Amino acid sequence: MQIFLILLGVLTLIAILMYNSLIAKKNQVDNIFAGVDAVLKKRFDLIPNLVASVSQYMEHEKSTLEKVTEYRAQAMKPGISDEAKIALDAKLTSALGAINIAMEAYPDLKANENVMHLQRSLSEIEEQISAARRAYNQTVTDLNNAIEMFPTNLIAGWMNLQRRAVFEITITERQNVDVGALFNQ
Amino acid sequence: MKSISELTDFYYKELYPSLNELETARKQIVSHLKWYGSMGIVVFIIVALWMEKNFGLFHPLMMGVVIGFIAIASIAYRFMISGYAKDFKAKIITPLIHAIDPHLLYNPEFVISQHLFERSDLFKHAIDRYSGNDYVKGLVEGVPLEFSDVHAEYQTRDSKGRTQWHTLFRGLFLVAEFNKHFKAKTVVLPDQAEKTFGSLIGGWLQSINFTREGLVRLDDPEFEKHFVVYGSDHIEARYILTHSMMKRILDFQRRVSHPLFVSFVHNHIHVSIGTGKDLFEPAVFTSLLDYKQAMEYVNTLQNTIGLVEELKLNEKLWSKS
Repeated sequence: MQIFLILLGVLTLIAILMYNSLIAKKNQVDNIFAGVDAVLKKRFDLIPNLVASVSQYMEHEKSTLEKVTEYRAQAMKPGISDEAKIALDAKLTSALGAINIAMEAYPDLKANENVMHLQRSLSEIEEQISAARRAYNQTVTDLNNAIEMFPTNLIAGWMNLQRRAVFEITITERQNVDVGALFNQ
Repeated sequence: MKSISELTDFYYKELYPSLNELETARKQIVSHLKWYGSMGIVVFIIVALWMEKNFGLFHPLMMGVVIGFIAIASIAYRFMISGYAKDFKAKIITPLIHAIDPHLLYNPEFVISQHLFERSDLFKHAIDRYSGNDYVKGLVEGVPLEFSDVHAEYQTRDSKGRTQWHTLFRGLFLVAEFNKHFKAKTVVLPDQAEKTFGSLIGGWLQSINFTREGLVRLDDPEFEKHFVVYGSDHIEARYILTHSMMKRILDFQRRVSHPLFVSFVHNHIHVSIGTGKDLFEPAVFTSLLDYKQAMEYVNTLQNTIGLVEELKLNEKLWSKS
């Protein structure tokens, strides 16, 4: 009887520890996502400025600029899910990258102090976003591992925890820049 | 910035007259050392024989005699080479540093402040004795930087109340301004646990290290194999340790081949290289013209001052320029 009680006590303790570690992991993901959100918002705040300053020069990239504005508007909507935000961020990153490259073709733009300032601020924020993304991916991987690995998966199933999505690097980011193609545009 | 080969040329060409002069002094010191050394040994044998006759060879007093002889010998040695060491620093190390950058200040007697060493948070133990020498300070490519030799020790008492001194750190300590703003603290240490116990148990041991703030696991497997990172802010740790920064630190580690400790505190980077010895000291028993010896001076200086370029600390971000 006594042995049974001790065993029960130990098992309960282990269950409590696993439960708490899962909660800690889940909260860590939310916590880091708040950090990601903060830097993303920083970038969103700069976008209207950028679009306003460059649109008069960049006639050919009108559609890209419109897209950027649209993504921003979507991402700023209240009640948007984390997954949707992650997807929008990926699109926004590649669109901003395209604008960055296209700007090379406009000497007037490069002479514009205000635009250059914006661009450098954006690239600094881009570094912060990349750091935040990496931190988020690590915590999500930790949580996903715990959700799928034995024995924490038993408790996670009972707690109804769901796997989270990680930030993926967009295909354009992963490819090396093809300088030749840029000149032929 | 001059390359290693340019500096080696400088060492052998420009410094040749001074080297020759010092080499003569060195040879004289070695012959004096030999003479006094053999005298010392003779005296020691006589004392030891006398002790054996009166007290026996394994008498406790014998221990005192041995320690006494070692102490006298080391004091005498220091006294004999002090003038030579001073000349060496004035005639060789000073011009060598100025050849790298004429605006750098060099003081052979001075040491980097203990406050900076403690601020780096690289070593958790309290320091009871702090010393060092060969202090260099200045702007390298517009980046404020200072470094010196550091010897930090702490004291313990055993059950009999005897004090013992232990070395906490001995080697080169460098502080430079970092090119990014940050608020939290990030510490990069050599990875002992994972090397000894493997990634599973070692990783678990690291995560329960109570003396450090949260363990930060980074997404560069090679970097993770060599280093362990602790930090209070996960996002900021990765903002500082970008993929390219991790690669540069790894490259630097390969080049210095001594334990490397790096921390990011107060918008500054702190680097400790655990060489385990006093650097920039003149060779006594090998020739100053010896290539290996020359390369040690040149390499150490070039690597240390070149760290600014190596880690690209001069590439300022917009908000910092």
